[in-house]
Amino acid sequence: MAAAPIVVIRDLTKIYRQGDIDVTALAGVSLDITPGEFVVLMGPSGSGKSTLLHILAGIDRPTGGSVKVQGIEVANLNESQLADWRNQNVGFVFQSFNLIPVLTAAENVELPLLLTALSRSERRRQVETALSLVGLADRGHHRTDQMSGGQQQRVAIARALVTDPALIVADEPTGNLDAKSASDVLHILQSLSRSAGKTVIMVTHDPKAAGYGTRELHLEKGELVENVSKA
Amino acid sequence: MSTNSPSPFRLLALPFRWLWVGLWRLLWLGNPLTWIEWGTRLWVRWFGLSQHSFVIVNAVRNQRRATLTVLSVAVSCGLLVTVMTLQRELTIPPESESASLRLIARNKVSLAQPLPAKQMPLIEKVPGVVAVSPFTYFGGNFREETITSFAQFAVDPVRFRDLIVEGKVAEGDYEDFIRDRTACFVGKDTMDRYQLKVGDRMKFTGTFYPVDLDLKIAAVYTGTVDDRNVFFHHKLLDELTGDLGTVGTWYVRVASADVANDVIARIDQAFENSSAEVRTETERAFQMSFMSMLGNVKVLTMSISAVVVFTLVLVTISTMSMAIRERFRELAVLKAIGFQRRELFGFILAESFGLAALGAFLGIGGAWLFWGHINLQKLTGGFLIYFEVTPRIMATGGIVAALLGMLAAIGPSISVARTSVVEGLKTLD
Ligand SMILES: Nc1ncnc2c1ncn2[C@@H]1O[C@H](COP(=O)(O)OP(=O)(O)O)[C@@H](O)[C@H]1O
Ligand SMILES: [Mg+2]
Repeated sequence: MAAAPIVVIRDLTKIYRQGDIDVTALAGVSLDITPGEFVVLMGPSGSGKSTLLHILAGIDRPTGGSVKVQGIEVANLNESQLADWRNQNVGFVFQSFNLIPVLTAAENVELPLLLTALSRSERRRQVETALSLVGLADRGHHRTDQMSGGQQQRVAIARALVTDPALIVADEPTGNLDAKSASDVLHILQSLSRSAGKTVIMVTHDPKAAGYGTRELHLEKGELVENVSKA
Repeated sequence: MSTNSPSPFRLLALPFRWLWVGLWRLLWLGNPLTWIEWGTRLWVRWFGLSQHSFVIVNAVRNQRRATLTVLSVAVSCGLLVTVMTLQRELTIPPESESASLRLIARNKVSLAQPLPAKQMPLIEKVPGVVAVSPFTYFGGNFREETITSFAQFAVDPVRFRDLIVEGKVAEGDYEDFIRDRTACFVGKDTMDRYQLKVGDRMKFTGTFYPVDLDLKIAAVYTGTVDDRNVFFHHKLLDELTGDLGTVGTWYVRVASADVANDVIARIDQAFENSSAEVRTETERAFQMSFMSMLGNVKVLTMSISAVVVFTLVLVTISTMSMAIRERFRELAVLKAIGFQRRELFGFILAESFGLAALGAFLGIGGAWLFWGHINLQKLTGGFLIYFEVTPRIMATGGIVAALLGMLAAIGPSISVARTSVVEGLKTLD
């Protein structure tokens, strides 16, 4: 008996208006994701992968349909509630790392915690835990603009998990990395889902990367064409 | 042909290169922003990150730009404060209440024409007049000075006491002034400036009058609008010039501000069609008309200030929007992480405000120090003695800078608010 799904998506549509033309990015996607899954989202460029990821992470709004995360209808939250909700429930990992270059690794990881009520020492402890989970415990005081791509992406993962969110979303996290760094990053994401019970949803182009997931989804022209569970 | 031996020119250029690099290092080390950044980084290292330290680190992340912004705000604020001070010095109008009760009656033909001394009883009789004294500008040069910037006036000492009622004098000193025909009554600013004390002598060489004065300081006053002037016995001037029948102007005090206009009209009327017609004005109007010789100071200084502020607005707004535009992606990431819109506004406002405030502090403080320590009297040949950057002027400069900081934050805040996380993430660094 599977656990109750953490993400429930029903008939999700997203249509962009560009002048007179409607661009359908998502054409009715329905999907359940259970806690602890490592979902890999694949598909050709422009098939709607990022759009789907953005909507379920609460940084974009759907045109129609419903997205419930832990029973909460995300589209019903206003801007401000959504920001709080993201802070508590979602960790983001981007293709281009998106760290703040003038901050050290530890400071970057600490950023999301500034919005919590944690004390300084609690914050520091959580930052240390997150950095050691990605194997950078000794690099906390390094400026991130002096780190390698692989290290930067690990810092980004630490930042994504430091608030202990249920959901980690990653949009082509290995797209800018060499093979070795990519496999490091994928191993970390895998262990987050396996040992820490995080639900990880990752968009990728790379079939090798797909091998790390527990489930593979294929999108084409905004529709879900394949849904393979490997668990 | 050898290619790898260093050319002699290279070797010669080396010391210059070191000099250049060293100069930059020095500039960098001497830059307060460097210290602010290091201080903040140390603070963060020990006490953890906070939204405040995040703002500071961000504000100085592009040090060259931050420095130039701070410097341009500083220079503009310094200039603004200087222009405002100049205007104040040039148009210092007597604003005290007692000054508004005083009138000056002069010859209608021109200020240089004297008035007959026998007019006094007639003026005294005008209803509303409380006190009258002759008031004759001597215009001498003090000691060896070629231009003396404080005025000397011949007055009737007894009557004059009722004219500068606001002037504070040490007990008994004024009586000494009345008693001694060669005594003078001196403003405290002049006493301080020349380090004089009661009993010292002041010698003046006449410029309008072909006579010199040798006066003994009997009393000192403070608390008037202009504590610089020297007053002495009209009798002495009369004796020295041998002209007993004329005065320069009349100094008149009226009972209340309400009657001032009536008194002016009545005095002017009293001497209509006489050989010496009179034009009476309030002391303030008199001084202002004196000032108008300097051209329309107010319009000039106002337009300079406006240009300065306008340039400053353009500079800060463009630097601020550049600084934020560069960081659009980062701000989008902060939004994704959960920062609220108002927190991002706060970051932008604090950064803009902080840089403007630092610039204002340096510029206004610098102007204050500079004008406080420079010998302006020497520099302007006595044209300006005082160039006091008053707290009020500094506050005005500070307010302008603060408004500017806020103004510069508006544009970037709006574009950050308008940009969704997804749009922001798409922008390139
Ligand atoms: N802001 C937008 N305006 C218009 N069309 C958009 C916008 N964002 C995405 N699209 C379109 O939606 C479709 C899906 O985009 P996206 O989700 O980014 O695809 P993927 O991530 O799979 O490459 C594409 O056809 C794309 O052109
Ligand atoms: Mg994409």
